[in-house]
Amino acid sequence: MNTVSLIANGRKVSADVEPRTHLADFLRDTQNLTGTHLGCEHGVCGACTLLIDGAPARSCITFAVACENAEIITIEGLDDDEIAAELRAAFTREHGLQCGYCTPGMIVSARDVVMRLQEPSEHDIRVAMSGNLCRCTGYVGIIRAIQGVIEDRRARGIAAIPGGGRTSLGPAGAGRAGAVARASAAARIALKTDASETTPAPSHSASLSADWKPQMSFNQSFVVSHPVDDVWRFFGRIEDVASCLPGASLAGAPVSGHVQGRIRVKVGPISAEFQGAAEIDRDDATRTGRISGSGKDKRSGSATRGLVGYAVKPGENPGETRVDVSIGYTLTGMLAQFGRSGLVEDVASRLIKAFVANLEARLAHEARGGRSETLSLPVRELDAGSLISSVVFGRFRRLFARLFGRN
Amino acid sequence: MKEQGVGASLPRKEDDRFLRGRGEYVADIRMAGMKDVAFLRSPLAHARVRGVHVPDAVRGQVFSAQDLKGVRPIVAVSGLAGFKPSEQPVLAHDKVRQVGELIAMCLADTRAQAEDVAAQVEADLEELPAVHDMLAARRPDSALLHEQWGDNVFLETFVDKNFEAALDAPIKVTRVISTARQSMAPLEGRGTVAFWDKRKEQLVLHTGSQMPHIVRTGLAECLGLEHGQVRIVSPDVGGGFGYKGILLPEDVCLGWLAMRCGHAVRWIEDRREHLTAGANCREHHYVITGYADRDGRLRGIDCEATVDSGAYSSYPFSACLEAAQVASILPGPYDFPSYRCRTWSVATNKCPILPYRGVARTGVCFALELVLDAIAREAGIEPHEVRMKNLVRPEQMPFDNITNKHFDSGDYPDALKRAMAAIDLDAIRARQQRPEPGGRLIGIGQAIYCEQGAHGTSVYAGWGIPMVPGHEQATARMTPDGGLELRIGAHSHGQSMETTMAQIAHEILGIDTGSIKVVHGDTEYTPYSTGTWGSRSAVMSGGAVATASRELGELAKGIGAHLLQAKREDVKLEAGFVVGPAGRVSLKEVARTWYLRPQDLPAGVDPRGLDTTIGYKPVRDSGTFSYAAHIAVVAVDPEIGDIEILDYVIVEDGGKLINPMVVDGQIYGGLAQGIGTALYEEMNFDTSGQPLASTFADYLLPGPTEVPAPRLEHMETLAPYTEFGVKGIGEGGAIAPPAAIGNAVNDALKGLGAELLHSPITPRRVLEAIANAATDPAKVGEAA
Amino acid sequence: MKPVNFDYARPSEVASAIRYLAQDGVSAKIIAGGQSLGPMLNMRLVQPDLIVDITAIEELRSVQDRSDAIVIGACVSHSDIEDRRVPDVTRGAMASVASGIAYRAVRNRGTIGGSLTHADPSADWISILAALGADVTLNGSGGSRTIAVENYMVGALEADIAQSELLVSITVPKLSASARWGYYKSCRKTGEFAHAIGAFLTDPDRGVSRAVIGATETRPFVMTDAAALIGDGRNPERVFDQDAVGRLCESLGMTDPIDRQTHVVALRRAIERAH
Repeated sequence: MNTVSLIANGRKVSADVEPRTHLADFLRDTQNLTGTHLGCEHGVCGACTLLIDGAPARSCITFAVACENAEIITIEGLDDDEIAAELRAAFTREHGLQCGYCTPGMIVSARDVVMRLQEPSEHDIRVAMSGNLCRCTGYVGIIRAIQGVIEDRRARGIAAIPGGGRTSLGPAGAGRAGAVARASAAARIALKTDASETTPAPSHSASLSADWKPQMSFNQSFVVSHPVDDVWRFFGRIEDVASCLPGASLAGAPVSGHVQGRIRVKVGPISAEFQGAAEIDRDDATRTGRISGSGKDKRSGSATRGLVGYAVKPGENPGETRVDVSIGYTLTGMLAQFGRSGLVEDVASRLIKAFVANLEARLAHEARGGRSETLSLPVRELDAGSLISSVVFGRFRRLFARLFGRN
Repeated sequence: MKEQGVGASLPRKEDDRFLRGRGEYVADIRMAGMKDVAFLRSPLAHARVRGVHVPDAVRGQVFSAQDLKGVRPIVAVSGLAGFKPSEQPVLAHDKVRQVGELIAMCLADTRAQAEDVAAQVEADLEELPAVHDMLAARRPDSALLHEQWGDNVFLETFVDKNFEAALDAPIKVTRVISTARQSMAPLEGRGTVAFWDKRKEQLVLHTGSQMPHIVRTGLAECLGLEHGQVRIVSPDVGGGFGYKGILLPEDVCLGWLAMRCGHAVRWIEDRREHLTAGANCREHHYVITGYADRDGRLRGIDCEATVDSGAYSSYPFSACLEAAQVASILPGPYDFPSYRCRTWSVATNKCPILPYRGVARTGVCFALELVLDAIAREAGIEPHEVRMKNLVRPEQMPFDNITNKHFDSGDYPDALKRAMAAIDLDAIRARQQRPEPGGRLIGIGQAIYCEQGAHGTSVYAGWGIPMVPGHEQATARMTPDGGLELRIGAHSHGQSMETTMAQIAHEILGIDTGSIKVVHGDTEYTPYSTGTWGSRSAVMSGGAVATASRELGELAKGIGAHLLQAKREDVKLEAGFVVGPAGRVSLKEVARTWYLRPQDLPAGVDPRGLDTTIGYKPVRDSGTFSYAAHIAVVAVDPEIGDIEILDYVIVEDGGKLINPMVVDGQIYGGLAQGIGTALYEEMNFDTSGQPLASTFADYLLPGPTEVPAPRLEHMETLAPYTEFGVKGIGEGGAIAPPAAIGNAVNDALKGLGAELLHSPITPRRVLEAIANAATDPAKVGEAA
Repeated sequence: MKPVNFDYARPSEVASAIRYLAQDGVSAKIIAGGQSLGPMLNMRLVQPDLIVDITAIEELRSVQDRSDAIVIGACVSHSDIEDRRVPDVTRGAMASVASGIAYRAVRNRGTIGGSLTHADPSADWISILAALGADVTLNGSGGSRTIAVENYMVGALEADIAQSELLVSITVPKLSASARWGYYKSCRKTGEFAHAIGAFLTDPDRGVSRAVIGATETRPFVMTDAAALIGDGRNPERVFDQDAVGRLCESLGMTDPIDRQTHVVALRRAIERAH
């Protein structure tokens, strides 16, 4: 718990809250200021917009603890505000609200637009209000109301205040309080410990039914400068193959083609660890193999199933081997539920590149007679630069782009 | 004080509290000891539930299906022949059939902590093949959602009206047209706060609902309670649009829990839950053929329509309302002789659907109007000429159309004429001949529809769903100080009924609207009603308020006449007074006499006093038919695929407008949602049934720069069967925009040979259509 | 949609922030304005042990005006730049681009350093700053280093930053009076992420000619010597070779033809609309 003190609508208030409590919940739950509404909790809809040190901000993605000593004004604090009063009259006159849910955020943003923009066109007002969604009015009355208030005020000789009169730099609300040492959150849930060490790997079967079709699939080929027999043998050692895949590790040696393990993947600040099992089939006659597996990331409640097929054949030049890989996978759960990306091929290609780089390094190392544990692989971590995103993360890119491309 | 009555753009009585943040929505309700619920939901679209593992640390805070003994599943049947009912479990036990289906209910002091609990509960699921595509779902080899059915079809319907006669038409245009699945996305999601009232032995459940009385019925059935043991309160509601018109399993769960846990419990739907787990709408697929003569006269329409109804039949509208409605409304406002339509309501592993603003009309209008423009291009005539040839004419009114819809009144061709007059077609055609800056292409498109509203008993009895509207009741009751209380069973969540109902009562009684209080949203205090849906409240609750107000006026006149020493038949009501031959007495005085000075009342005074509840039905209950013509002028950027709406004209006939400002607002808001359907909103699923939009960054709602201020003109053809001649218009604005914009885009792209047939019309779809047209002209019309 | 619990620290000095970040066994995340991390925390996509709030560090909220460049602290907000509380040395480029980032309420808390470190290809700063030739400076336990902004982003959502490093400032060179810049982004709606970005700068007096294709699936394509492509930033119809740029995009991995078309057009329009 952290004690958060701030000024809410001119009143100094203070409450003990967990650091994870966002400003909107702080105001609603500890101060009963329920005029601030939550519409999306990811900063898009604008219903939670309020004033922090005079500037409109999203209270759903601003943590209360980060607003120590800041001055917060919610819709309830605008009763006697001159611009807000004019806006209320104009919103009523122009029918700028229906269900009223977006209205508090709308008024807060509108007040800021009235204050900052000297002679905006209708389009300027629309752009300036684009961070507030209304599902009822079609914005017609809202825009007219704001335009009316601005025209009226300018006609009365009241000029806009560029920038809203802000002078300090940095996020609105920041810098009002000094340092605070690390404070512990309330009891952390058991889940926060590494799940793999406290619970056994799921025992579910890794085999896929014959009619299973992957959500995403792609093929890739590469050539390594090693004889085909060596490469084929290498692919028979699943632990070595796994070690070439950054982030992957096995729980033990395979038992009759069945192996358990995990793969840790990381994209930016997001990390997931899929624990699961794989079934391995190999056909020496055709030098082809299949690895089918499934895994679950307990933290996000997401799961993946995948099928890797490979064929090892002589390359064009002597001593070279060509490997054809086909990869198909399906992702389900929270991590799957975002817009799809066109990135997959690109990520897959980077994945294969990293895998090949590691494979090459390992084969070369063995050719020199080195032991595998003495080898340092070129790409060990699934982050920064090299291959970074796991294939299963490809589809997130769009989401990040849409949602988070604006810090 | 005429300016407060019917026809006045009276400022809204509800505005002030909303503008000051003093509205009270479900999430704003505070109760001592209240705890929060979060749900563990299925991450899979289709799976067998093998078990639910609850760690010891959170035992007692987690409830799964085996705890909810005796709770019945949600079942919404339809009486239509061949309908196959589904059972929607309150918490999943045997199978899960959609992502987001409830598996366990988790309780804690705060929502954050309840989510912590849910994160520790593990469902053991065996994944089954997901049915994600409604057309594939109809095939015999598809996986099955409800195995006992033998297929995935809730209902198949077929109608054939002299179809053969159209086959020799010289013009035959076939298109495959579809609309994306959508989320209704009111800014406020669903939410429930429930507690057990010990004194009244009653479950009190606050839930943002368009139809509290229907929720009560459904909830009582699921929980095995008598209706009297359940009170539903629907407070301020942040937008409905249909989404708040169903009984949710969450409501049932919270009700069950509140009866046992000894404190209030709360669940507030978050945006991810809304988008991925809540009900969806609008996913239609049409194979539609228009038959016409060379002059554009329609000979017939043939259509195969499939609606993706999702996993379960939702309560009370059922899974088949939408597709079956397609068959009955596809002919639109047109008069033609031959018609054939087959529809399928298909079960898939997605959220159930429910009727969104416009219900099936938005999809139907999109399909039919795009085909009409294709016919116009084929015939080489202007699209409005094709429409003019086929619209039902005013002299035919009232008109029974080919599917036996009874169009009550109106002048459809005049609406289109007025809309065309507002747009300079010749100038646009001339402009299209010249290059635009930036290479943009200009297009004009139109759409016209009629909207049945206030469907009555005769319409709904045929559907046989759990809810059939009968007489709509209202209570009118004077208070001792001369104020008026109106109690209605419908719910106002943006429709402004706290104002418009007061205007109706004012029109009749003359009481100042400032002294009229409209009570709604509480089963304890309001007369039974099917609630707010189907553009019915102004007609039905408005009619009931008018009827009750008149009745109240009669009661007041009885007392007033006595006070004036006049004969009952010699007094009349005027501006809040009972006026006799020799004087007048205010309604205030009348009320004071009834309540506070009964000694002054005559011996034979009507014992009902100043309090009456009465039911209302229009003279004919086949529904009102409002209509509108929409015209869009767009600029398409063929390099980037952007579409800008340059001009938008609406000519609407809603009969008598109770409050024109409010009606305008409904149309503007509907237009914004229609633009969302046309250009932005899309709930995609992957082949394993995973929803691919869980945020407003994936699911795009139109904002202020995406919605133009339209030019709006009203016609006021009075409805013949309703009070004041009012027609329902609540949904209309959302019906025509995809069709009008789609036709405008196709008009802009016709020189390139590209045609868009799938909504939303995204930049990528535009660019793909252009690219396809360039590489393979034969594919035009099949693309997208 | 609430975050998991985390610990919170708000140091007032860079060194102490770095100490928090360098702790072993603790998954620590830096937060500034929180406009990207906040949603990810709410959705539990990110579940850190510790959040280190760097907004109390004064030097990160300050600006230094040097003779040839301006040095902007990492915690300066988008609206600080939009409103020109940060002196403009880019002939309006930065203020103009800032005003198009998301929405005003987001810009009031979102920071330039946070945006760059989040390394979203669709974000604006990475593309315009790459066009302007800006550098970023990081401090870590091992000292300080400065790299070109386009090298800071190594891939989608991956910046070249170690766990115990902190981005402290962005150095933006001052443009000459003759410099011209252009920026075009294609979005489906206002404030939405970009599907394609084109940006360029010609500053003949300083011998600079740069072009950027951004909002790709990965780091932006940066052409540091773009004179052949964009000429003097005027008359793109004479110089700009759409096919050549398309081939370049393809060679850099943009395989989808519609994506390619959109990006090429974005760059051409950036040049057409130059300032």
